[in-house]
Amino acid sequence: MVVGDVTTGTDVLVIGGGPGGYVATIRAGQLDLDVTLVEMDAYGGTCLNHGCIPSKALISATDIAHTAGDAERMGIYADPAVDMQGMVSWKDRLVTRLTKGVESLCEQAGATLIEGRAEFDGENRARIVQSGEGQGSESIEFEHAIVATGSRPIEIPNFEFDGEQILSSRDALALDTVPESLLVVGAGYIGMELATVYQKLGCDVTVVEQLDNALPTYEDDVTKVVRERAETLGIDFQFGQTAKNWEETDEGVVVRAESDDNEMAEFEGEKCLVAVGRRPVTDTLNLDAVDIEIEEGVIETDDRARTSLDHIFAVGDVAGDPMLAHKAFKEGEVAAEVIAGEPSALDYQAIPAAVFTDPEIGNVGMTETEAEEAGYDPVVGQMPLRASGRALTLNEREGFVRVVADDETGFLLGAQIVGPEASELVAELAVAIELGATLEDVAATIHIHPTLGEAVHEAVKGALDESIHY
Amino acid sequence: MAFEYELPDVGEGVAEGEIVAWHVAPGDRVSEDEVLADVETDKAIVDLPSPVAGTIKQLHAEEGEVVEVGTVVVTIDVDGDTPEDEEVEDAVAAEPDAAAADAATSEPAVDGTDADGETTDADGETTDADGETPVASGRVFAPPNVRRLARELGVDITAVDGSGPSGRITEADVRSAAESGTGESEAGEEEKRKSALSKRSDSGDSERKSAVSKRSDSDGPKSAVTKRSDSQESGAASAADSTDREQTVAAPATRKLAEKHGVDLDEVPTDKTRDGEAFVEPEDIEAYVETREAVEATEAETAAKSEARPVRTEPYKGIRRTIGNQMQASSSTIPHATHHDTAVASQLVQSREKLKERAAEQGISLTYMPFVMKAIVAGLKQHPILNTELDEDDEEIRYKEYYNIGIAVATDAGLMVPVVEDVDEKGLLELASEINELIERARNREISREEMQGGTFTVTNFGAIGGEFATPIINHPETAILGIGELEQRPVVEGSGTDADVVARHTLPLSLSIDHRVIDGAEAAEFTNTVIEYLEEPSLLLLE
Repeated sequence: MVVGDVTTGTDVLVIGGGPGGYVATIRAGQLDLDVTLVEMDAYGGTCLNHGCIPSKALISATDIAHTAGDAERMGIYADPAVDMQGMVSWKDRLVTRLTKGVESLCEQAGATLIEGRAEFDGENRARIVQSGEGQGSESIEFEHAIVATGSRPIEIPNFEFDGEQILSSRDALALDTVPESLLVVGAGYIGMELATVYQKLGCDVTVVEQLDNALPTYEDDVTKVVRERAETLGIDFQFGQTAKNWEETDEGVVVRAESDDNEMAEFEGEKCLVAVGRRPVTDTLNLDAVDIEIEEGVIETDDRARTSLDHIFAVGDVAGDPMLAHKAFKEGEVAAEVIAGEPSALDYQAIPAAVFTDPEIGNVGMTETEAEEAGYDPVVGQMPLRASGRALTLNEREGFVRVVADDETGFLLGAQIVGPEASELVAELAVAIELGATLEDVAATIHIHPTLGEAVHEAVKGALDESIHY
Repeated sequence: MAFEYELPDVGEGVAEGEIVAWHVAPGDRVSEDEVLADVETDKAIVDLPSPVAGTIKQLHAEEGEVVEVGTVVVTIDVDGDTPEDEEVEDAVAAEPDAAAADAATSEPAVDGTDADGETTDADGETTDADGETPVASGRVFAPPNVRRLARELGVDITAVDGSGPSGRITEADVRSAAESGTGESEAGEEEKRKSALSKRSDSGDSERKSAVSKRSDSDGPKSAVTKRSDSQESGAASAADSTDREQTVAAPATRKLAEKHGVDLDEVPTDKTRDGEAFVEPEDIEAYVETREAVEATEAETAAKSEARPVRTEPYKGIRRTIGNQMQASSSTIPHATHHDTAVASQLVQSREKLKERAAEQGISLTYMPFVMKAIVAGLKQHPILNTELDEDDEEIRYKEYYNIGIAVATDAGLMVPVVEDVDEKGLLELASEINELIERARNREISREEMQGGTFTVTNFGAIGGEFATPIINHPETAILGIGELEQRPVVEGSGTDADVVARHTLPLSLSIDHRVIDGAEAAEFTNTVIEYLEEPSLLLLE
């Protein structure tokens, strides 16, 4: 301990105030635990400040502009003008509002909030390092720690983020002018969401992807709907191209990529967004001071969110895939409840996930193939949205709702949805799966007409061979 | 350090025990393994040894009190602890809710909030038995609250059979699995074992929580059901079944009348409706009040009557209740059929008379029981279907290829069934001395649970008290039981035709109850014939 250190104590030390950390903090407070939250940057973490929320703000805003300008079929002729600075400052205001909200929820839960970076200084002690101040720091002795340090974008060789030419997703969400053209390296969900935003804002987007399809982790018929829409919007896809290096030019950048058959190609753009995934943040923690197991950069945890040390927990992105805020929420809750002695565990049956492309993708549980691999005899029901009255009134006709169930018992196993509001539609099926509901349970439930939710109903009835509208 | 000794599981799967007698009082010094109390559980009285050496601080249960396993029965000040420790421990014990916060801030080393309930046993060794039920891999068709309940009760949810649609697992399924012990996860077993071990008072919140939830369970749905049926009974008596109504339409004057009589409008029976809601008028209330008063009067009368007759109540618990449960289980699952026959035992009486003196020379009292048991074994060997057990869950009939015979013994505390093992391998004298010893110890209640387990067939000698025939109840999961009536002289017809004569002979009446699911009547009769054959001609036993 450095002379001048101040030592305090806490039941639960939460390191990081993102979705995993702030939820753990609030839950621990609710359970009357003495909890301290240490955040080095901004409450709400990547999700609120540089991820989910700002990207959804920009997606919704550009959708309004784009939809208004693309509604001749509905008899609407418009050419909306977009003030990018206005849009970004609106987004910043709502982010600020939400981060303030998170901070005050943590305070109301009775948590002690400390700004700074926490690093371990033994198995029951952490040091808080405040940026800028060299000497004297605070030490905290803790009974339990919850590591929630999140993740950061992966850099690929030769493409160091500089915020000017080579952008991370975080940079791309903070641009205050729309570039003429944009290269996007990586056609995963982050790359696809931002490519769509900028294309809709009038930027020429080229997506350079190493694999041979966009959103390669999804099924082909799902990604096909999204890729075709993106192509209709004008996005240029370059599949099978591995970005190797780049050079600054008068107009911006030229990125050189190597194809599968070793031929080099050059792609030009004003800026280049690299979105090839995220990796856990563990280098701020001084993990040498605690003996916890790490596998390929991810802190290993068990079904109680515990690390290999029983009193240290890890939640959210730092505990590994899938890196989703709502998975972090759940883990944060469970960690706090386990510490409080409750019989909680990470026993979820499925984690729903969404991609906010145009149209959206929502999925939960198993695909048909996964169900077969798991030993089920799956039955599938699928409802195309072109047969949905509500979809047509929304001027949408692409996409579908598909449900996968066990033929023998009727238990719902999974769902894949591509279409407008897929992220919302999937929630119903997530509940059904979590409850162990059968096709019949959902089929017997009345759904509102006319809604997109009816398509879920019809898909389920389809799996029972009882569809009415299709 | 104050050691909070929780009542361990002193038998196998025992849920509670009665403190019959304390051998210590507060202030007494005890050494490790010194007997603290006699505890009566299920079928036996066992000693409760002290797991630590120290001074008795407090007894938490009265003599005669029935205590659940896991309840703290005695606090012992353990030798060699520092006063500070004691203070911390006391604080923790006294304020369970504050324990988490206190322990953490004042002394992080005290693992008062450790979620995994790590325990330190009396030797100071840390046992890493976290007693958790792991999350099942793969899909589980049960709602989240049910999965949580399963973890709480230590049930492996993947081993639970669901009774919901398509086999979905319900709360009730998990509860019954927890009660029956099926699907109990290894962790759950571990937890049980652990709670059988003594624990430090600070051994974790989860214990306290589960104790709390257990309590609320038993107060919860079940008692709600009981209450409802109670009120239904009196409701039925009080005329027209009133009603699960939540709303009743009535005029203001009617409401006033109801209020005057202290009547809940929703309880007043009526056939009338207004706007689809039940409608009550003043005469309905008067009729209801009248009936209610009449019923109350009758109830009061009945109560007065029953109060007037002296009744002594005894708690239905311990061995009595164990016997009761066992009988109920047997009688409600097994379709009993009883076959009666009589052995003419003249030769048996002679043989025993001769051998009795030889046995006495060796200090052994030779009764008829060893002969009967040998004859039974001969019967079982020829008719193995009577030496079986029916496994209803696995749908298997298990043939036992060994012969452990239980003997029903009447004791002051009730019926006990000590088991004589491997009867086929033992001689008459050996059996005689073993039987006598077991019966003696059963009567003195010195017998252990283990000595009453593992039987394959049971014999009940009610004839020792008197009587000829009876209907013995099978000792589940066995499939047959033989009852022996009183051996005495009875009229017997000997010879045939005109030579037939009625003579006095020693006879032994036999009553064989069988599990008719497994054993047919013919097999029962054939087995009895074999037993009779051996009893009537004891020299056949020499061939065995």
